[in-house]
Amino acid sequence: MDTMRRGLAAPGWAMIDIGTATVGVAERDALGTSARVAAWPPYNLARVLAITDTELARLDEQASRFRDDSEISAVHRTPGEVHILSEGLAEAIAVALAAARWTGGLVDPTVGSALELLGYDRDFAAIRNGGAMPPAPARVPGWASVRLDGRCLRLTAGSRLDLGATAKGLGSDRAASAAAAAITGGGVLVSLGGDIAVAGEAPTGGWPVLVADEQVPVSADSGSGRAGQVPEPSAGQVVRLAAGALATSSIMCRQWRRGDHMLHHIVDPRTGMSAAGPWRTVSVAAATCAEANAASTAAIVAGDRAVAWLSGQGLPARLVGRDGSVRFVAGWPQADGGLVEAPQACRMPAGGRTA
Amino acid sequence: MDQDYEERPGWVRLPDDEGPPYPRGAARARASGVRRVRRASNWTAAALIAGVAAATGYFVHHQPAAAPATSTVTTVPGGTAVNPQKPTLNTPVTTSGGSGVTVTTGPGGVKVYHYRGDN
Repeated sequence: MDTMRRGLAAPGWAMIDIGTATVGVAERDALGTSARVAAWPPYNLARVLAITDTELARLDEQASRFRDDSEISAVHRTPGEVHILSEGLAEAIAVALAAARWTGGLVDPTVGSALELLGYDRDFAAIRNGGAMPPAPARVPGWASVRLDGRCLRLTAGSRLDLGATAKGLGSDRAASAAAAAITGGGVLVSLGGDIAVAGEAPTGGWPVLVADEQVPVSADSGSGRAGQVPEPSAGQVVRLAAGALATSSIMCRQWRRGDHMLHHIVDPRTGMSAAGPWRTVSVAAATCAEANAASTAAIVAGDRAVAWLSGQGLPARLVGRDGSVRFVAGWPQADGGLVEAPQACRMPAGGRTA
Repeated sequence: MDQDYEERPGWVRLPDDEGPPYPRGAARARASGVRRVRRASNWTAAALIAGVAAATGYFVHHQPAAAPATSTVTTVPGGTAVNPQKPTLNTPVTTSGGSGVTVTTGPGGVKVYHYRGDN
């Protein structure tokens, strides 16, 4: 009861009952999705929530392309000029560029214009089905066109950044590490829209996480009204995460209709269109959530090459095909409740800055 | 070297096996005192060493009893040691699904889906 009162003291957070008082869990809306935080001992939860709030607010002010008052929106208003960024946004863009280099351009932050042309030009909850398909996809300038030197950024004219493939993961990383540093003993889990980072000491056997393969409900495919932002979670698989991070990318959620086409939010930078590979959902474990997030998105775009690339990187992964078949890679446990052993070392080279 | 001690007033050479006979008079009494102090120091040092060793052995063998009762180590059927202070969770605390939808299994095994905006 004391835990519940402490949790409710954090504005905007709702306490979640998971059937045990040994861990405190809370959830709220954040960054166009939901944020969930777990902490043990439970008396740490209030402090962890406050730190998470700070980190998420900072990231939203820096990197949200749906806010006119965000730092990245200010950059987009004057492309071609040199901008001196905050350290936070510079880091977020550097991570996005590192992911682009690491994945050979399969994950590219310059898909912003392509996403907007396809209709993802506002918070997803506000997207509506309908409208005509654009006559031609937008040209993706490519990550190499972004000039970032320290905190100095210059975009080419017409270039708009979308940090969606890495920013949520980075937010989870930031919040989890900051929270763990602020508490004495115990551990924390931070999930932003299913991109999960853990820090500190995990519960015995690791944090249990449901890896879902979501299905879009029929109402989302009706051709009119709001887009299908409410997928139906399927059985999925329960795994345990003791360290590192876990992220899932899926084409089964965030879908909307344009003309005869059902579109989704993962854009193939090579075509400027929604990725059309064989995988509908990919979950990846990695040392950091930004890396896991980038890898899962890259795997969706990579299509047939995804398994070989993930194996080569040594990243445990679970891939669900469009036909529902499941593929396990690099030691991802096949049994329900198995431990996902995320690599301790980053596979994604740090930096990503181009001068 | 031995001559150095005898040539300096007030200086007394400490006794050893090979050394010359003890000085006479006041100097001899002083040397005897020094010898007694040194013997006492040796016994004190030996006693301290033995005491520390005994205490270390005691705490090594009695550590669980000295710690709080809640940190008692137990063994689960699988043979893995478990510290009861760390929670053991049997239901997922969150969902990784790409959409932000989370699923909670509450008391009684009832699954609750948390959609964005439900809060």
